[in-house]
Amino acid sequence: MSAGQLRLCHRDDIPEGAARGFLPLPDAPRNVIVVNRGGQLHAYMDSCPHYRGGTPMAWRKDAYLDAEGAHIACHAHGALFDIETGACVSGPCLGRKLTRVPLSEAPDGSISVPAQVAGRAARES
Amino acid sequence: MRIIGPDYLVFGVDDLEGSKTYLKDFGLKPVQLDDTGWLYEALDGTGVIIRPKSDPSLPAPLETKNMLRQQIYGVEDAGALDEIEAEMSKDRRVTRLSDGSLEFKDDLGFELRFQVTIRRELSMPAEKINAPGAPAQRAPNELGVTDDMAALPRSLSHVVLFVPDMDKVVRFFCDRLGFVVTDVLTGAGPFLRPQANDDHHTHFFIRTPAYMQGCEHLAFHMGGPTELMVAGDRFVRKGYQSFWGPGRHKFGSNWFWYFNSPLGVHFEYDADMDKHDDSWVAREAPNGPEASQIFLLQWREKWAPSGGPEGGSGA
Ligand code: FES
Ligand SMILES: [Fe+2]
Repeated sequence: MSAGQLRLCHRDDIPEGAARGFLPLPDAPRNVIVVNRGGQLHAYMDSCPHYRGGTPMAWRKDAYLDAEGAHIACHAHGALFDIETGACVSGPCLGRKLTRVPLSEAPDGSISVPAQVAGRAARES
Repeated sequence: MRIIGPDYLVFGVDDLEGSKTYLKDFGLKPVQLDDTGWLYEALDGTGVIIRPKSDPSLPAPLETKNMLRQQIYGVEDAGALDEIEAEMSKDRRVTRLSDGSLEFKDDLGFELRFQVTIRRELSMPAEKINAPGAPAQRAPNELGVTDDMAALPRSLSHVVLFVPDMDKVVRFFCDRLGFVVTDVLTGAGPFLRPQANDDHHTHFFIRTPAYMQGCEHLAFHMGGPTELMVAGDRFVRKGYQSFWGPGRHKFGSNWFWYFNSPLGVHFEYDADMDKHDDSWVAREAPNGPEASQIFLLQWREKWAPSGGPEGGSGA
């Protein structure tokens, strides 16, 4: 793992069609959500853009998707987000986006994120 | 009009099994109503009814994706239903059901039902505290906390709605149904209580665009702040997501702890809310972190000081 990166998991820890949340550091303010869609991993801050500052979206540990597994869902008020782009497609934050997190994959399948993600609670942009 | 408050809130859900697990773990008791419907009740019999969203026995959904399908209110007696029927029939269709209850829509399209309340009278002590200068509330040798203490929701307290037209909804509840405004958070909206309930609020409205119309949260009264903390702590430990709290609101003085849910609304534990009568004059404060709470805390893992360099063991 290169400097300034934090390891989240191994790529096999997230089965096809599933989502999981990882705290990049034990005292980080927000999880990073990793979703496996067709073998492709997408990652976002667990921070719904509806209310100022952003708020956590699952209703139970790792429960980040809607019932059909088609979208990332905020279970606070039901906002739905496109898994590939993070754009809100329905609900209170229409027109806004989740903050994407760049993932790095090592040859052994380790997935990591930039270290500054651990200090980031609020939605940017 | 002798309206008491919400008896049941009805939801058409995406994830029936997830919702059932959630409501049970929240501390509500499951009662199967029929093939497709479940009531999850608090100790006084009020609660939340869930059905799969495609269930034809549900009232029509809102145009938004919000899963709230109906608010069912309890009134004191059949006379109160007659009064509501007379008032509402002036300008809308009111359906009288075989059990005497009434169904109609409010001015924003929310589905409502009024019935003689199903609340069972509760007789249980509030949380007891001891303090210098006041008579002890707990007898000698009576303990304040135990590992297995009960911490169950006692009663459905209030519902909070996202509304696209505040004037319309306030006129409807106050002028037509006799609610009064107890306090106002400017920029968000008013707190309301009905005539037959002295709680600070059974309703709070938040002004939003039309595409958000629906339920923001619902809350259950607990027996006191300790029960609220114990219930919330147990809920977090089961893997549920805290959204806001624990803390204590200013308006209403109620302790709060909000959680996300698979019903797409927040579920709140609340405790120790103010009571009001008709002599109360509504306050107003700009909505924001300052007005929302007197303090705000956040859950953390249990910890104790021990094993430090000073040699203290904490024991
Ligand atoms: S906080 Fe996410 S939809 Fe409201
Ligand atoms: Fe509340």
